[in-house]
Order: sequence, then C-alpha cells, then structure tokens
Amino acid sequence: MKLRTNILCLAAALAFGIAGSISAREKEIGVSVDAATPVILIRNATILTVSHGTIDKGDILIKDGKIAAVGGTLKAPADAVVIDAAGQFVTPGIIDCHSHIAVDGSVNEGSVSVSSMVNIADVLDSNDISIFRDLAGGVTTANILHGSANSIGGQTVVIKLRWGQPAAKLPFEGALPGIKFALGENPKRSNFRTAGAPDRYPTTRMGVEETIRSAFTEARDYKKSWDDYNKRVAAGEKNAIPPRRNLKLDPLVEVLEGKRYVHSHCYREDEILMLLRVAKEFGFHVQTFQHVLEGYKVADEIAAAGSGASTFSDWWAYKAEAYDAIPYNAALMTKRGVLVSINSDDAAEATHLNQEAAKTIRYGGLTHDEALKLVTLNPAIQLGIDKRVGSIDVGKDADLAIYNHDPLSAYAVVQKTLIDGRLYFDREKDLAGRAAFEKEKKDLLEKAKKKQDEEKKAGAKKPEDKKAEEKKPDEKKPEEKKTEEKKPEEKKPEDKPKPPQSDADEGGAL
Amino acid sequence: MKRHFLSFLAIIAATSVLGAGICNAQSSAADVAITHAKIFTLAGAPIEDGTVVIHDGKIAAVGAGVTIPAGAQVIDAKGLQVYPGLFDPVTQMGLSEIGAVSATVDTTETGLFNPDVTAATAILPSSAHIPVTRASGITEVIAAPSSGGFDSRNATNLVGGQASAIHLAGWTAEEMLINKRAAMVVDWPGIETRSFDISTLSTKEKAFADAKKEYDTKVNELADYIEQARHYAQALQSPGGSGIQRDVKLEAMAPVIRGEMPLLVFADKARQIRDAVEFCDKQKLKMILAGGTEAWKEKDLLRSKGVPVILKPTLGEPPEEDDAYDRLLTQPEELHAAGIKIAFGSFDNSFARRLGQDAANAVAHGLPYEEGLKAVTLYPAQMFGLDSQLGTVETGKTANLIVTNGDPLDVTTDVRYVFIKGQLTSTDNKQKALYEKYLSRPKAAH
Amino acid sequence: MSLRSVHLPLRRIMLLGVSLGLLGATAAWGQGGEPRTFAIRGAKVVPVSSAPIENATVVVSRGIITAVGANVTIPPDAWVIEGKGLTVYPGLIDGFTDVGVAPATSPAPAADSGARPQPAISRGPEDRPATTPWRIAADEVNPMDPRVETWRAAGFTTVVAAPKGGMFPGQAAVLDLGGERAGDLVVKSPVAIPVSLQAPGGFRNFPGSVMGGIAYVRQVWLDAKWDVQAEAAYENHPRGVERPKYDRSDAALAAAFSKLAVVLIPGNTSLQIRRSLRLIEEWKLNAVLYGGQMGYDVAPEIAARKLPVLVDLKWPEAEKDSDPEATPSLRTLRFRDRAPSAPAALGKAGVKFAFYSGGIAAPKDILPAVKKSIDAGLSPDAALRALTLSPAEIFGVAETLGSIENGKIANLVVTDGDLFDKKTKVKIVFVDGRKYEVRETLRPSEPPKGDLTGKWKMSFTTPQGQEEATADLSMQPDGTLTGSVTSDRGTGSVFSGWVSNDKFSFTINISIEGSSGDVVFTGTFEGTSMKGSIQAMGYNFEFTGSKPTRMATVQAGGAQ
Repeated sequence: MKLRTNILCLAAALAFGIAGSISAREKEIGVSVDAATPVILIRNATILTVSHGTIDKGDILIKDGKIAAVGGTLKAPADAVVIDAAGQFVTPGIIDCHSHIAVDGSVNEGSVSVSSMVNIADVLDSNDISIFRDLAGGVTTANILHGSANSIGGQTVVIKLRWGQPAAKLPFEGALPGIKFALGENPKRSNFRTAGAPDRYPTTRMGVEETIRSAFTEARDYKKSWDDYNKRVAAGEKNAIPPRRNLKLDPLVEVLEGKRYVHSHCYREDEILMLLRVAKEFGFHVQTFQHVLEGYKVADEIAAAGSGASTFSDWWAYKAEAYDAIPYNAALMTKRGVLVSINSDDAAEATHLNQEAAKTIRYGGLTHDEALKLVTLNPAIQLGIDKRVGSIDVGKDADLAIYNHDPLSAYAVVQKTLIDGRLYFDREKDLAGRAAFEKEKKDLLEKAKKKQDEEKKAGAKKPEDKKAEEKKPDEKKPEEKKTEEKKPEEKKPEDKPKPPQSDADEGGAL
Repeated sequence: MKRHFLSFLAIIAATSVLGAGICNAQSSAADVAITHAKIFTLAGAPIEDGTVVIHDGKIAAVGAGVTIPAGAQVIDAKGLQVYPGLFDPVTQMGLSEIGAVSATVDTTETGLFNPDVTAATAILPSSAHIPVTRASGITEVIAAPSSGGFDSRNATNLVGGQASAIHLAGWTAEEMLINKRAAMVVDWPGIETRSFDISTLSTKEKAFADAKKEYDTKVNELADYIEQARHYAQALQSPGGSGIQRDVKLEAMAPVIRGEMPLLVFADKARQIRDAVEFCDKQKLKMILAGGTEAWKEKDLLRSKGVPVILKPTLGEPPEEDDAYDRLLTQPEELHAAGIKIAFGSFDNSFARRLGQDAANAVAHGLPYEEGLKAVTLYPAQMFGLDSQLGTVETGKTANLIVTNGDPLDVTTDVRYVFIKGQLTSTDNKQKALYEKYLSRPKAAH
Repeated sequence: MSLRSVHLPLRRIMLLGVSLGLLGATAAWGQGGEPRTFAIRGAKVVPVSSAPIENATVVVSRGIITAVGANVTIPPDAWVIEGKGLTVYPGLIDGFTDVGVAPATSPAPAADSGARPQPAISRGPEDRPATTPWRIAADEVNPMDPRVETWRAAGFTTVVAAPKGGMFPGQAAVLDLGGERAGDLVVKSPVAIPVSLQAPGGFRNFPGSVMGGIAYVRQVWLDAKWDVQAEAAYENHPRGVERPKYDRSDAALAAAFSKLAVVLIPGNTSLQIRRSLRLIEEWKLNAVLYGGQMGYDVAPEIAARKLPVLVDLKWPEAEKDSDPEATPSLRTLRFRDRAPSAPAALGKAGVKFAFYSGGIAAPKDILPAVKKSIDAGLSPDAALRALTLSPAEIFGVAETLGSIENGKIANLVVTDGDLFDKKTKVKIVFVDGRKYEVRETLRPSEPPKGDLTGKWKMSFTTPQGQEEATADLSMQPDGTLTGSVTSDRGTGSVFSGWVSNDKFSFTINISIEGSSGDVVFTGTFEGTSMKGSIQAMGYNFEFTGSKPTRMATVQAGGAQ
C-alpha cells in the first residue's frame, strides 16, 4: 500500500513537473498559474476545519484548486496525487493580517503625512525570500501594508504567497483593496526627531486627528466635485471638464464609499476611540485596528463599531504606548465580542504565527479552536476573503498547511503548504534540494573567479610582475630602487598580537 | 482558570503576603513541601509522584518517598510537574524599562572601555519586566550591559561592563544578587560596510578595505587594553603593589586577567567569532560566546577551544537570503552534535518569556529534548560557574523551582508556582493586573 | 608664428583641435580647401542593411554617402583612403547617454520653478520634485564635452543624449559627435522623454520610495493630459470657470508628446521590467524600455507588447573591493552570469533592441561589453545591428542613419579588423562626412622608468626661431602626468599626459593666433633630460628639455 502511494507520489511529482520544483527552495520563473492543478487527496489527517470542529483521521479531496470534499475516507481518481498525512494535522493556511514582506524598496513613503497616493501593489517583490520562509511557517495569505510613518499611509494589498510566480500573480483576486492609517508615536515621530531637522506636522496625537480630518474633508469636497461633474454629464452636458484627478484623494473617496478597507495602526485607548469618532463623523468604517495593544481597554467600543482588531501575541514595552500591552489582549477582546486576529508585522514572527496564536490558550483561556481561528478564519473575515479562505470547507480555496504536530504548540513543524491546490512548500523537497543549491552557487562562484583571473592575465600586467623586468636598468637611481622594494606589509612593525588575517583578505574581490 | 485563581488567593492568604500583591510578593521563609508532582530533576530520570522539600532557601530533599517536615507548608502538585526554574543568561532585565524612552534605559555606557560599570547597580528591582518574566518560569537571569535590545544605540563599546546574575525576586538589587560580577561583556567589533544614519535616515556605504582597517584597529585597541590590564594586575600583585596609582577600570579587569571572570563576547559573524576565539585563546582568557548566529561556520574551532555558546533566539530571521529557512532552528542541534555546550538567551527583557519557546523550537528541529531543557537551566548555570547552586533539582542547591501544568518549553503551558530562593513567589504582574481590571470593566453603555 | 604667414601646401591640412580630452580622433578639416569628398577604396564594407561586401568602395561627399559598392566610380576631387586591410562599418550609435550635453550649471531644482518660491523640501507631487522635462538636449549641447572625442575615438558617431538627473531629466536628442557649433551636432530633437522611477528624495522629500516615485509619475501623466484638456476648454469658454494653472512640466511633456517622442521607461531586472510593462500599458505610452539586463527571463513578455529595449552594457559584476567572506546570493550570481545573454534572448524572442553605454564610463570598455554578449550567444550581426540600425529605427532616424547606404548621412567607422575583436583598432571615424583620424590611445602601459615631476626647461625651434617654455609637471605613480606649460604664448594646463617606461607625452591647449589648439609634446627622457617633438597646427618641432638637478625631487614613487 505504502509503495503504491509512493509510486503515485512519484508519478505525481513528475506530472507536477515544474510545479513540483516550486515547492523546493528553488523557484522557477514564469510558471503559468493557469496550468491545470492535479487532483490531490490528503489522507488520514487530523483535520482542523476551524469552521466545524476537528475531524480525527479524515481525507481531503482537492480538485481544480478548490476543496472538493472534507472528511471520511474519500475516493480519488487513479492519477490523483496522494499525500499520506497519517499522524499529521491539516489546517487552513495561516493568514497574516499585518505583513511588510514582498515589497520592493521602502514600505514607507515617509515624506508626507498623507501618502495615500502610493500603492503597495505597485511595488510587490516576488523575489523576497520572506515569501518562501513564511510559506515554511504555514502562511498562505498576507495583508501587505504600508508602514506606519504617516497618519494616512499608502494603499495596501492582500496577496497569496505564490512563491515563484511573478508579482502580478500575487494579489488575492477579488480582495478589497485597503489603506493604512497610523496613529500615535510613529506618525508623530516621537522617536525619530533629530536636532536641526524641521518637524513634520503633526507632532502630537491632536495633530494626527486633524491630519485625518483635514484629508477627509478635502476628499469629501473632491468627491462632491466628481459627483457634480458626473451628474452634469449624465444630464447631457457636453464639454464639461472633469475635475483634476487627485491620486491622493481617490483612495479616500473609496473609503467614504466603502470600497476600500481602512487598516489603522494604533496603540493607545484614546487614539482608538479618536479614530472611531472621526470615522463616525465622516461616515466611514474602520475595518481593522492593527496592533491595537490597548484594545482590551476599549473592547466594547471596538466591538460596537464592528471593527476588527489585529494584534500581537505578547510584544510589549518597546515604546511608551506599548507599555500597557498585555498578552491577554487577544483573548480579552475576543471575550468582549471583537473579531480578533493575531499578526506578525515581522518577517520572522510570521514563520510561527501558529505558536503565537497558541499563547492565547494560556493567556486568557481561549479554547484550542478559538485560538486557531485567530490566524485563520478571523483574519479572513477581517480581509473580506472568508468566502474563499480561512477554513477547510467544501468550495473554498485549497489553501492548507500540513503540520507534523498539533499546530498550537512550539513543537509543530510545517511539512507542506498548499495554495490554490498547488504545493508551494514541501519540507522534504526543500531539504533534498539544498545540496544542488549549494553546488550551483559554488559552480557560479568558481566560474566567475576563473573569468576574473583570465581577464586579469589578459589585461595590463601587474606592477609586481614588472619588478623583475625593471630591476636591471635601475642602477642609476638608487633612491628609487629602495622605494620600489619597500612592501606595504612591512610598514608597521608590531610586537602585539594582531588579529589573525585570513589569506583571502589580500586576494580582494570575488 | 478561575479555580486556579482562587487557590492562588488562598495561598496568598495562607502565607500572609502584604497587600498590593503585584510585585515581589514572596512568602515567608517557612519550609515548603511540594507533593505528588512529577519531578524533572535534570540529574537523572524524572521522579513520578515525587516530593520536593525546601528548607532555608535550599532544596532539602527530592524523591518519591520523602518525609515532609513538620510545620511545612504543603503544596499538592498532583497532575503538575516540577522543574528547575529557567535561567536566561543574556538579558537587559531591570536595565531597561521602555526601549524607546532613553531615560528608562541604562544598558549601554558611553565610551570604548567600561569594564568597571556593573549591571547590578542599575537594575530596577521594581521593573515591571521582572514579575512578567518570572511568571513564565524564569527564576534567574544575567543582566548584561551593552548586550543589545530594542533600545540599543549603535554599540560603540568594546568592553561594556560586568554582567550580574540575579534572582528574579528581591526588594533590592542586593537581595536579588547571585553574582554581581558574573562576566565581563565584550562587544566584538564588526565590519561595518553599511551603516544607517539616523539623522538623514539613509544608509551609507563604505569600502570593505576601509571597514576592515577600522575593524583591525579596534581589535588592536582591545589587545592593547588587555595588555594594559595584565600589566596592572601584575603590578597590583607585586610587592608594594597596593601603593601603585589605582585605576578603577583596569582594576575591574584584574579578575578577567586572572582567569576568574569569563569574557562574555558578543559576536555573530563567522569572522568575528573566529577572531574572538583565537584572540581569547592567545590571551589566555576564558570566553563565552553570546549571539553565535554563524557559530556553525566555526564549530570545529569552538569545540577545540572549548568555548560555550549562548545562542540568540532561534525564532529570528536567518541572516542571509540564501540561508536555509531553518538555519537558526537547526543550529543548536548541529552545535550540540559537534560537542559544543549551548544555552539559549533572550538577549532582551520584554521577550525574555520566550526563552522556553526558543528551546522548544530547537527541539522541534532535532535537538534532543533533554538538551533543550538543560540549555535553559543547567548549562547556563554551568557556563557561569553557578551550577553548584542552580540548574537542577538536587539537594543542596538553591530552591529556584517552577511547578507547571506541562512542558515548560511549550507555549501553552501555565506556570502555577514559582519558587525563588525557596520562597513562593507571586506570578502576579502588571499585565495580569491590567487583564483582571479590564475583564471586570462593566459593559460600555451604547 | 603667424598663421597667415605660413605657406600652406595645397594638400596640407591645418590642425585645429576643438575638443579637450584624451588624444583621439581629431578632425581633419579647416579653412578653405577642406576636402568634402572622400573615398575609401578596396575595403571590406559592412552596410548592416545588406550583406558585407569585400573589396568595396564607399564614397562620401558633403556629409552624405554617395556611393557604396564593389564597382564604384571615384570622383576626381575625392581624397582617397586605401582600404586594404580595413573594414568600414556604419558609425556606432550609443542608444542612451548624456554625452555631449552640458551638465546642469545650477543644482537641479528640488521643486517646480513656477511662480512660487522653491520650497527646500518637496511636500507632494504638486511640487514637481526632480522634474525638468522642459530641458531639451538639443539646446544644451556641449561640443567641448571631452567625452565627445573619446566616444568618437571608440567608433561612435552618434548618441541619443538627454540631460542627466531627476525623474524627468529632459528631452533627448540624436546628436552626431562632431561639429563646430553646438547646433551642428543635433540630428533630431526631441526624440525621447526619459523617465526615472528612482526616488531622488531621501526620507524627507517626496517621493522617498519606489512606490512614491511611481505614484508621482502617474500623477504627472494624469496632470499633463488634464492640462491639455482643461486649457482647451478654457480657451473655448473661460467665463465662469476657475482658470487652470500653468505647469511648465506638463506643458513641456504635452509638447514633446505631440512631436511623437517616445518615453523611455526603466526596467532592468525581471521585477522592474514586468512592472514597467504594466505601467506602460496603464499609462498608454509609446515607450521604450531601458536597462533590459534580465531580458533573458522575460523576453517573450516584452515581445508580446512589441516594445523595443535599450540594453545597458554595464553588465552586473562583483565589486572590486568586497568582503571575501561575504558571498553574494545565488540570485545575484545568476544575474551576473546570465545578463550578457539577455540580448541574444531578446533577439530570439523577436524583440528589437539596441545597446547603450549605461554605467560604462570609459568608452574603450563598450565594445568588449558587446563582445561578452556575443560570447553569450548573440550573433555578431545582431550585435552590430544593435549598435547601428536598430537604435536608428527606435529613435526614428533610420532614414538617414544606421547603415551604409546611398543617400544616408556619412557616419562611418573604419577599423583594421573585425569590430568585436579586442585587437582591432579604430582608425578613422567619419561624422557627417568629416574625417577624424584616431590616434593610438596613449594610455600608460608600462610603469614609468623615472620621475618626470619637476620644472623642466624646454627649448625648441619653430620656423620663427628659438623658443623656450617651462613645463611644471607632476607625475603619479601610475604614470599619469599633470601640470602646466608656460611660455610667451601663455600657460596651458596639461590635460592628457602619461609616462610609460622612458616615453612620455602630454598635451596642452593654448591659444595660437586667436584660435585654441592642442599642442602635443611627445618624447623620451632619461634622468633629468628629455627630448622629443611638439605637434601643433599640424607642424612638428623638435624640442629638448632639462631639469635643473637642484630641483630634482625624488618622490616615493614606484610601488607606493
């Protein structure tokens, strides 16, 4: 039985072809995402569905990138790829609601306090190794955010971690775009002011509020001018000049129209309430509060507004506004009715969000399933993608992580990660591919060195080589002869122990 | 959860701790017996249904059939486990309160050579970090100056000062002290080809040759300083030595020169590690390596010179793009297999509670479990010569113990009781207090 | 010595160097009697537009190619150059550079130079940071740019040049590398609007990030289009409408678009190329990609959009001085290894591409870089085309440039061998039908045998008699010579001097009878005495020189 499974796996690996090699560290550029994904059967796993409990020892059938069946013993076509998951745990792929990976250049356009004209989607970097490392941590979807340098930051995008695909294939189709706000110490530059450099408005929390209000006031007027224009055109007016497009205000209008999610970085209770107040004034909704480390203090208000909260597991005390942070934050807010997720905000943290979620069992007494939700279904709902991902249900995308241990533990290690039913991370393949990776690197380095040496030989001869030729005619100039013979190394006679010098230091460039 | 809370209150009442109940709540010094626990002594096989007797701050007895002294306070630990308290050997515990607020940060002194500054001086006993950390089962730490952390400005120290070993309980730093002068911190210089300039918020590039020259210069300066210190130490010991002109800094180096105090050398890159190990070997100084991100590249050297390594958190990002994704996670096993003694350190204060988690992750990637546990208990104690007092549950040792409902390395485990110097220590802390306060906030009116 | 008094044989040519820089191609033309017709007889001719012709003749007259072929009648007044052993190619074209354009005399304005006083920090797109599209290369031609001569000496007759600096540095023009007045160089203008997405700002200026740069450029296109619309509408019916503000950048861009200038959009890595392809489509631009070094990865995608590519010849390579213990990533190693194969891949996919010097500073490195791409799979024919006809086509000047055809502009490069052979030397360059001889590049090739530093007293005999000059020289360890020469005629700085073994040469530029000209001193030295010849105005004079021994200073020369 096992042999047959292995043969099937091998056949599938061949059938996978290029897709199979993506799962190794090595990625293939230009793989078509439209290539038909094979039918996959995951067998004998403990299935943590998140939406409807745990299935001990069940199968999952994947067809055309979607979950076709869940639970029980399932039948699959003969050419299906079978993944034997006995003793393993399958969960929905982790959704990181606050990520800065895969961005080309700075994640901050920190020059201006309202930088809504910039768009993270313009600068996705599909080469970022963090994408792969997050996959190795079970993450399948991430909310890539602008940084927190500005009261109103740039436009944001949700991506699937399709390692190996070009940047254009990363965005989560149909996910509503977002925009990042930031409140508190970061946008007011408490910790970054330098003497001599001019202050940037705002420098207080009061100013942060007014920056946002001012921008939305402008956006409101801008929207009105467009509405007026559209009305006139609809009424048949010719030759009407449209208002000048303002890329800074366009996304704010979308916020007002409910077409763009607001994700706001915040810490303190007062600024959380401030934003709720401002949102109410202008009639928009705060989709998520991010970090929201004092969210537990105003959990009821957040819950009443229907906003989500995406927070850390146990970070605290690195800034003044983080001093009252508690690891019970997620559990406490959950208990008060807030939709809570746990995020990373950090490439390294993202590789163990399952462990971070587990901490809520100890800090605040969430149940196992409630804890798992914090990094699966809850962030999916927060990002408006829960119809597609976040739980193991028939019809949803086959975005799954397979662990060798219950994921709510520090001992769980991701074995495989699938997105759209394709194997984007396979630990075995990664391990097996390392030798070839190192070899290719070694070969290229040697090749480059050889070329360099050849060029050096072909080029002008080095002065040292010339010395032998020059010595003879030099009798006439004794002074010059001496200086020529002096070697740089002899300059410093020393009797103290010197740091050991590697031979390579003299050799120069690679 | 609630049940545990009530029983905890009962204990508090029984041991008549003063009110407030937030910091430093330690019971009186009566004998204690922890009974019916599974005891992981780390000095042999675990003891099922065992008892630990604490007397006068020390472990008086450990075993399955141990007599409980009369008058002892008995804690029934049925279904629970006893371990040595965890030991975090590299922290800024008590030296920094809020990283971004420099007024609360005392980790790094100015100047290249500060061997005389001592961590214990600046430890804030009422730091909120201490109760938070010990609630996770860490009972003792080493507070190391100039050891990094969120706040650290670009460390320009070469010799950063003396690291102090402390219990995480005590009304004053004196009460907390295990060893005021546990080690001498050395920040091994790095080769800075790229530096971030905070005033212009830009990165600056420097030629490698220039950076290497600066590096060599700094290493030479360190060598010079050791030389001076050696000379001074000799002069001190010579006849009439007590009359020489005293220098507080060089004096502080004397124990290092005499081999009594190890150098705690912070180095991460292979070149730094290699140079540091060879330097200390040549200078005949005892060295403990802290950081060790690329220690695997120099494992043969580390083993041959017998240098123990305190590893930075395994949950960090591998430094190079081409590093295997689990490079830091597999390194502990690789070093252990190579015969190198390892420990884990948090290198922080607010993240100290992740110490067990770091070890667990290493275990998940191949390090034998027992090694992982010892790497956060016995091995750090051994590295700093404190294993006669700490690191295992054995009679005669200081009673720094934790009682848990499970594996202390895993993230879901709860620490029920903490004993420091034999006294039951509160696991209450600022965070728990805030939790309870807002748990009982009346539902907001709408 | 008076020019007027010199008796000129008919065929004698007056030297009148007009450019500074390394000795290279100096024009052979002058006052009256300037030959306007040349014939290169019996050479191998590579027209590019058709197959190479052995033993052929090219006739150029008055700046135009008038005949090409194996059997060609040579006009009687033609200056005949025997082409045996020589090969004639179309003059090479550098597809994107700033050679020949004056650098900005004032620092690039940080913001819009409209009516408002310029703010020191740009606070948004409206401040038009690093944006000067109104600068037109054709109006800023600098014939004195030393690189005009060095590029020409390397075989380049033509460049596509734009001002440098900023996100919209200015409008590019096709320039021929030869001419007396600035305007003489301009072949066509404007031909392109280069755009850079690299944020100039740093953290405090907008834009400070890549996404900021993209958002900024996006806003500029929108504004430029809107301005045109709004102004037209306002013209029609100003009453009751708030008047549109004038923006110099927008106006310049609109004007350039109307002249069908192509927009140069950067894209070097796959990530950048793909991003730029999307942006080009979004902005509906008539565009050309520049960079292209990861073309091997994305060639079919570029081909699908039918976009031409300018390929940067500065192939990625290891830094000279890097940490030997720090190995570059595999990604970087692959890029370095494969970049030279990009042109072949582009060609194979059907993408039209041309080369440009890009990050290469020394023109002698350009053809070896092309050779690398040939070694990596590009056919020599395709390589040549990418240096000639393809850039001409891309920039809309293929009617008159890029190949050796009857009627095209007489831009030719004559070599003594195959263009891509490293031993081959460029002998003659024709720019707009003017002949420039190329002297051997006189770089120090051997270490100096002594030290030329010091004050030398030189004497030489001109037709007018004995003259003296003092050369105050300073020699670098590698033989580079600087200093000045003072005589009754004035003082000239040495701008091209070298010492190799016991030979030396240095060149100054002084005013002779009202026109500035190069004066070249070439000779040998031994100890404190030197001798050699001076070239000036096409005349040669012998000279001797000596260094008073008292002033001889032996510096720490040699290996230091």
